[in-house]
Amino acid sequence: MKSYKYLCSLAIAILITITSCKKPDTSQTTDTPSTTTEILTAFSNNVVQATYNDLNTQTNLLYSDVLVFESSLSDNDLISCKQVWRDARSAWEQGEGFLIGPVEFNNIDPQIDTWPVDFTKLDSVLNGYSVYTTTYIDSLQDALKGFHAIEYLLFGKNGNKTAAEFTSRELDFLKALSFDLNTLTTELADSWNENTNDNYYTKFINAGNGSSVYDTQRLAYEELVNAMAGICDEVANGKIAEPFLSIDPSLEESPFAFNSITDFTNNIRSVQNVYLGSYTKDGKGLEDLVRQYNLSLDSDMKTKINTAIASLQNITVPFGQAITEQPTQVQNAMDAVNDLKTEIEDELLPFIQQHTN
Amino acid sequence: MPYYIKIFFLILLFSFLLLESCKKPETLTENDYNEWLSGGSQTVFDKSSSAFKHEFPFLREDKIEIHEIGDALFEAQFISAPSVIRPGLGPVFNSNACSSCHIADGRGKPIIANETSASLLFRISIPGSNEHGGPNPVPGFGEQLQTNAIYGTQAESGVTTTYTNQFYFFDDSTNYELQIPTYTINNSYISMPSDIMISPRLSRPVFGLGLLESITEEDILDHADEYDANSDGISGKANYVWDIQEQKLVLGRFGWKAGQPSIIQQAALAFNQDMGITNFLFPNENCYDQTQYDKLNDEYEISDSLLYAIRLYLRTLAVPARRNADDETVLKGKQIFTQARCYMCHRPMSKTKVNVAFPELSNQTIFPYTDLLLHDMGPSLADNRSDFLASGEEWRTPPLWGIGLTESVNGHTYFLHDGRARSLIEAVMWHGGEAESAKIFVKALSQADRDALIKFLESL
Repeated sequence: MKSYKYLCSLAIAILITITSCKKPDTSQTTDTPSTTTEILTAFSNNVVQATYNDLNTQTNLLYSDVLVFESSLSDNDLISCKQVWRDARSAWEQGEGFLIGPVEFNNIDPQIDTWPVDFTKLDSVLNGYSVYTTTYIDSLQDALKGFHAIEYLLFGKNGNKTAAEFTSRELDFLKALSFDLNTLTTELADSWNENTNDNYYTKFINAGNGSSVYDTQRLAYEELVNAMAGICDEVANGKIAEPFLSIDPSLEESPFAFNSITDFTNNIRSVQNVYLGSYTKDGKGLEDLVRQYNLSLDSDMKTKINTAIASLQNITVPFGQAITEQPTQVQNAMDAVNDLKTEIEDELLPFIQQHTN
Repeated sequence: MPYYIKIFFLILLFSFLLLESCKKPETLTENDYNEWLSGGSQTVFDKSSSAFKHEFPFLREDKIEIHEIGDALFEAQFISAPSVIRPGLGPVFNSNACSSCHIADGRGKPIIANETSASLLFRISIPGSNEHGGPNPVPGFGEQLQTNAIYGTQAESGVTTTYTNQFYFFDDSTNYELQIPTYTINNSYISMPSDIMISPRLSRPVFGLGLLESITEEDILDHADEYDANSDGISGKANYVWDIQEQKLVLGRFGWKAGQPSIIQQAALAFNQDMGITNFLFPNENCYDQTQYDKLNDEYEISDSLLYAIRLYLRTLAVPARRNADDETVLKGKQIFTQARCYMCHRPMSKTKVNVAFPELSNQTIFPYTDLLLHDMGPSLADNRSDFLASGEEWRTPPLWGIGLTESVNGHTYFLHDGRARSLIEAVMWHGGEAESAKIFVKALSQADRDALIKFLESL
């Protein structure tokens, strides 16, 4: 029996030695490039293109709804205009988790989403006599155009504007601004459309494969992850912190539609969309790369995204009020978003740097 | 061992140490420094679109805080007064935020068909000079054309750009094309004098400025050779410009013609001229004395402390590290850069002075690829408008650090003072005047060597 035991131990020892001498399995590293390429392409299709196309559809709808409202002047049609504004806004805010490429290069962001609005001059424009032609609108400064100027026109200073309160000049201007917004979102959607000249889609998906902007895939991934962290920083330390820490509701971004908390939430959803690779349709995303190697990072990311969204949803009054009435919830939301930012910067970024080439 | 032998050895050792310690330190050459670190120890490793946006990696905590205040202000969009938030824009202006032209702290873009954004501005003057020897302002228009205005005010004018294309040939018969711009002022709010001179200027990247400001004047002047005493065809002239704080003429360092002496004056001027924001250095509205001036004796539209925060921000934006500096083709390109004598003006290495008060900027070895001096670039690049001592053909050597990241950061490859060059090779081929021989050298290169030169530039 003793010798049998020895024999067994010997066999096990030999087995261990042989196994440990085996070359490490290389299959993981060979299938990674195809996964990483797939993710970049899927992200460009299912997240960027889907979000921008939705945004463009919504702003187009906004323009046509404004036309309907102009002819009916009914409160119901005004309500649908307000709703489409919110829908368009939702698409835009869900695009802020990937402010990369043309939206930045071509200054489209500050034109679509200019803040603050120049109310004094907006009133002057409305009280003037100029016809709101495209040329005229183009000549106006950014602070009189975009989402927030439209918000002011649609919702009114106290957020409860009714159809009866609209002047014909306001209607004309609203129409012109909606048209202008739609022009800008079309430009944005076109910039990631693979069929247009010099589009960013092609540059992005071909990262590390002849792209003039991204000489490696890793660079494209870093760009993605930095953009995710960037919007968390903007939400926590800009959009929330500035009005909150100075206790100044006038610094709130979407005050007339009481839409700020929704905006912030959609920004974090945008981070989620990039991570999961989904907008209306789900496809491959960063999570697929993460799950392949590090399930606990995947679970941390998801938990932190959900916590951030949930803590924003815990704020139950409009943001301008919440900064004084619900400071604990606001502080918690700020902390949760910053927590997500730290996770992205300290965990996700090194991970993708390690697992992409 | 007998004690006298011990003593003998001890004396020997001592004298050796003594001799060694008396030796003069060797001067290190360029090759002794790490040329990957373009900004010395204040170099960052990022080649993404955020490459120009980083604060110094070594920055004291209190300075980080001020840097962030400056950062937020750099991004902030201004609107017209009266407003609760960020008032002061205009009445006439070029842009509503620093970051609208210096997108991602990077390079601006000329006017391109069908695109809404442009970051080209026009400095203007008439013959003669002002009381300090600087450009003579145009009556009714000042020293810069403000092509935008707030509601109710008229922009000073519009400008249209047209390009004519011209083909040229490298010596190997490959052709290349340069686009020659023509600028036409239109719709001016009052009639414009016929002898107006205009100088188009594109916004430049804003990182590394603190390091450039910290190069000693002596060091810069050491390389000046205004009358080409050494007959190498390259002069290098210092511009002396009016310093508002010092109230005297001092060495100019910043701007396409080295027309500004310091970061703070350059930034304050941009606030005033580009955005219409008054400040302690430029207390008058940019349309002061013009018919559209509101004659209100306002307070400064940006406080001194915010202006100083912007200065600190600009002083402490880090320089991106080089990429592929040891690549074979890049090294070949570097050799060509040297052979073509590009380095005579695009001087690779500089040192910053010792600065106990600001250790982050102190005693750094940097690779900005500029001598910060004026050079004659020939008639085809000339704006024919003098700026203090800079003639109509002279331009300051622009730094080349980070130039290879332009496409990643700003999504384009337009170079030179007005963005007329559509690629680096076009920019090289636009060189003339003192750089004529360098251009002829490049013109004679083989395709492979030209590509290597570009690859080197892209690695900067």
